[in-house]
Amino acid sequence: MRLDVRHRTHYRYANPAAFSQHLLRLSPVTVPGQRVILSSVNILPEPEAIDTHEDMFGNRVHVATISRPHDELEIIATSRIDRAERTALIFEASVPWEATRAAALGLAEATPVAELSPYAFPSAMSAPDVAIEAYVAETFEPGRPILAGAQELMSRIYNDFKYDTDATGAETLASESFQLKRGVCQDFAHVMLAALRSLRIPARYISGYLRTVPPEGQERLQGADASHAWVSVWDPAFGWVDFDPTNDCVPGVDHVTLASGRDYSDVAPVSGIVVGAGRQLLSVGVDVVAAPESEPPVLPGTATIRQIQQQMQ
Amino acid sequence: MLTLSDVDPGTAEIREALLAGYGRPVSGVHDELLSSDGALRPHWRGLIDWLAEIGRTGYDDANAALLRLRTESGIAFAAHGTPDAEEDALPVILTDKDWRELEEGILQRARLADAAVTDVYTDRRTLGAGLLPPGLVYGGPAFAAHCAGWSRPPRNWVHIYEADVARTADGRWVILGDRVDTPLGDGWLLSNRIATSQAFADPFIEMGVRRLASHYTRFQDHLGHMMGWDGRLALLTSGEKDPRFFSHAYFARYMDAALVEPADLTVRDGSAFVKTLGGLRRIDVLLRGVADSSVDALHRPGRAAFGAPALSLAARSGSLKIVNGIGSAVMAHRALAPYAHRLAQFLLGEDLHLRDAPCLWLGGERARKQVLEEREAWRIVPLNSRDTLLASAADMSGGTVDGDGGDIETLLGRFGERFCAVQSPDVAETAFWTGDGLSRAPWMMRVFASRTQDGWSVAPGGVATRMPASGVPSALGFGKDVWVLPGAEPSTPAQITTRLDDRYAQAHLRRTGRDLLSRVADELFWLGRNAERTESVLRVLGVCVQRHLDGNRTDSDPDLLCDIIEIHAQPDESLTGAARYRDAIHRLTRGDDVASVPSILRILRSGGMRARTSISAESWRYIERLCSDRRWQARGALRQNAGLVRLIEDSLQALAAFAGSAQENLTRNFAWRFLEIGRRLERGVQIAAVAEQMAAGVNTHEESRLRAWLTLSDSSSAYRSRYMMTVQPAAVLDLLILDETNPRSLAYQVDRLEKVLHELPTDVPYRRPEHRRALKLLTELRLFDADALAATDDDTVRPELTDLLTRCQSDLAEISDLISRAFFAHADAPEALVSQARLPNDAEVSS
Repeated sequence: MRLDVRHRTHYRYANPAAFSQHLLRLSPVTVPGQRVILSSVNILPEPEAIDTHEDMFGNRVHVATISRPHDELEIIATSRIDRAERTALIFEASVPWEATRAAALGLAEATPVAELSPYAFPSAMSAPDVAIEAYVAETFEPGRPILAGAQELMSRIYNDFKYDTDATGAETLASESFQLKRGVCQDFAHVMLAALRSLRIPARYISGYLRTVPPEGQERLQGADASHAWVSVWDPAFGWVDFDPTNDCVPGVDHVTLASGRDYSDVAPVSGIVVGAGRQLLSVGVDVVAAPESEPPVLPGTATIRQIQQQMQ
Repeated sequence: MLTLSDVDPGTAEIREALLAGYGRPVSGVHDELLSSDGALRPHWRGLIDWLAEIGRTGYDDANAALLRLRTESGIAFAAHGTPDAEEDALPVILTDKDWRELEEGILQRARLADAAVTDVYTDRRTLGAGLLPPGLVYGGPAFAAHCAGWSRPPRNWVHIYEADVARTADGRWVILGDRVDTPLGDGWLLSNRIATSQAFADPFIEMGVRRLASHYTRFQDHLGHMMGWDGRLALLTSGEKDPRFFSHAYFARYMDAALVEPADLTVRDGSAFVKTLGGLRRIDVLLRGVADSSVDALHRPGRAAFGAPALSLAARSGSLKIVNGIGSAVMAHRALAPYAHRLAQFLLGEDLHLRDAPCLWLGGERARKQVLEEREAWRIVPLNSRDTLLASAADMSGGTVDGDGGDIETLLGRFGERFCAVQSPDVAETAFWTGDGLSRAPWMMRVFASRTQDGWSVAPGGVATRMPASGVPSALGFGKDVWVLPGAEPSTPAQITTRLDDRYAQAHLRRTGRDLLSRVADELFWLGRNAERTESVLRVLGVCVQRHLDGNRTDSDPDLLCDIIEIHAQPDESLTGAARYRDAIHRLTRGDDVASVPSILRILRSGGMRARTSISAESWRYIERLCSDRRWQARGALRQNAGLVRLIEDSLQALAAFAGSAQENLTRNFAWRFLEIGRRLERGVQIAAVAEQMAAGVNTHEESRLRAWLTLSDSSSAYRSRYMMTVQPAAVLDLLILDETNPRSLAYQVDRLEKVLHELPTDVPYRRPEHRRALKLLTELRLFDADALAATDDDTVRPELTDLLTRCQSDLAEISDLISRAFFAHADAPEALVSQARLPNDAEVSS
């Protein structure tokens, strides 16, 4: 499956900003099952400097600096991706969950797997509490195969939680949304991470996109797709396996991986600082559409239908 | 028993009296002063002989001198002074042999800390080989992910290392904690040494105590090497609110580093710059006094944008060297202790020289079990002292913690990686001064190491304190100086010290000019304005109170006095006559009114604090003396007019001393210019406010008002010497408005303002807008004559004067605005961008 992604972020400022700096994690990288054919980020006004580097989690990071007065900022990230269907997984055939913990922590005879260790511990946004610990214990009894356990945990979260865009905010902690049993994809992912990491099972936070397919007979709305988040769990034979607790599925060809890290703060697509802007008005739109396998990329137009507007002071 | 007060200095009994309260050493506990048989250790003889010679009063004198020196340097470098040192003045003396043991261990420890931190962010060999448990590194907030895995990492993370050390009962050294995140306590060491070496000059010199200067010269050489011949050095501090600010300010001056705050820094094109009047200036080496977790605003999304945005990028590009590198906290405090042995063998190929106080990392189940079983024997502390998630856990020795988590066992099960258990060893004792001779107590100290061009160096000395009963090393401050005696081989400190002087001379040559930080220019401008405003209020108050005391019927008319007071505070219109006057005076001298002297002094002081590092220590002392004068706070006493007159005179003198000192001690660089601009601008505004009363109307008390104005302007004698007659409006207006030779005239202020504005940096060939405005106003003043200003119309109003003053006031306000915009505006603090909106995701997956 070939997908075209267009992710537009727009800020409007009450006063001209004298200076701003932006940390962007908007460029997908090639990972197993995903090949990046092209990817670009356009910023208006044009930054004086863009620094690009790879962070310790393997993400491509841009830091853009704008030092001319500007009262709006537009960031458009476009990419074309080839997604392959995942080979079939036999969840029950994976190793006991304790083995992945041992690999991450270097317990007993196991040599630590350096790539796993950073993901095994509670982070600020994925810290467990007593309720989450009790919740996860029901699924992960001793010796349970890691992938089977992760799948069950994902399904339980999907069934026990209500999708609610108003219940939580960008800074909500796992323990808070767990108590509410509500939230959005970010909260579902943080809850699942908190549960797994309370057992020191290494697990990653994945940010990305999800292609939506409109109901039969209806046009797909532009900008309707979502910036999305899910979780990835490790097994020595299968490698990293993704689980999407918001949709109760193992991500397939409709999911596009953008960045991975320990929690949202490691992968936030757009963040930064601004000097002298006053009130900020933010709108975001994402389009993910299937692209013909052979033609050159035709990217979706600029109009966005659905806008999320967020205001601050 | 002999007591010290009973015996005379120099007599045979005094030695006995000095040690009468000391007693014999506890068996099995090392004592610095006495050997186990109770005999005085030879290396203390110099100090004890001196004490015996000077006796109790001599010690008290030395102690008083020490306290005064500490207070003075505290006032000079820290906003709130420094907290009173809890320790006595008596140094701890170490032999060359004692010191060498410790020095060797600290040199190794510093190398070890650097190797361990650097490995965690680069090769991760220690993790790969299973020597460091992953949870120790990744389990807490100290690990800085954005500084790991760089393609071209710096060769070293750690360049400065400090340790808390003690001597155990058996006399061997032991490490109580590693300080590698933001050490920079050197300011305490240096100021403590300077105060002690002056107060105890005789024994200090006679015993040949090893000096600190050559250590810091070597460190400076290393920094010089890092930054290149034209490089810039800065010390980053979070400012006055940080308890370590004193040390930062002191050390910055000692090292000739610019003292900067995060908002002064900006990162462009992979380099770090400070914002100065002359634009952006590149920084090559940054001594970091701001904690890892809040040093880079860009890499902490969603939080208050405190740190210098993108600072880590400048380090990543290699353009900026940070001392110590961001992320050093990962091996700070107690993190190294549990594994120091095997890390030394693995990373350095050496056996560890210095032991740690017993310390167990609680990330493992077995250690947790052991500690919970032996609760009495262990103290459970956060691995990293800055771990904030578990603030309630700072002292968990009580057994339970508040809030979620319940008992300590649950908490350790959940976040065990973030904690360790430590034991406080029994430590050696040393001599402390009590009022009546010497006594014994356990002690510990902080030692200071820094990198040199060919390795590491440890400053020969330290800051010692009493070992707290809790066993937790307290925050660094003034303490007992630690004297290291020279060994057999002679050292050559003299030559090195000269080189230090040379370096300073060169550095100062470079520092004139446009390098003034925008923030500091802003602060100096307001310091100038506030000082002038304070003077004006004091003078108004002085004139009124003096006239009231003199009791001349015309001059002390309450309504007239109230008119004068109105320049600064609106008298209560519901009162009349003497009551109205008393109320007005009361409000100007009372603490809570905005216009009152105590309020204005508070503003002056806080502005002075912020600008303090750019004015001389002496200038700051005058401000401090004025603003902390307790008489302004004492309510009852002020009601007595005579006392008030005296107080006003004293305060005006302190202000004059500040003005004079600033005038004499500041070079005529940009720092001085902004102080001067603020001062002239404010004085112009104040003169215009007084003159307005002359313009508004001529009334019965005109002559008395003119005399009041002359007194307010301190120009009575100038007037008398010139005119020798009763006061005439035209003559007074000439002297106080138009006369450019009178430093109290309006024209003089504008003339000075124009000259100083002319010298501000400009990038265009034309005069800057604020300069043009001042030039226009000056020209206008020069074209007036006094008779025209004094002329009245039918309503006895002076229209020309009124016009002039109105324009003058609006021009001065505009000049102030223009200056702010041109020179201070980009000192605005950055704010975090609104975080990425979370999109609703009600999409269905097609599967």
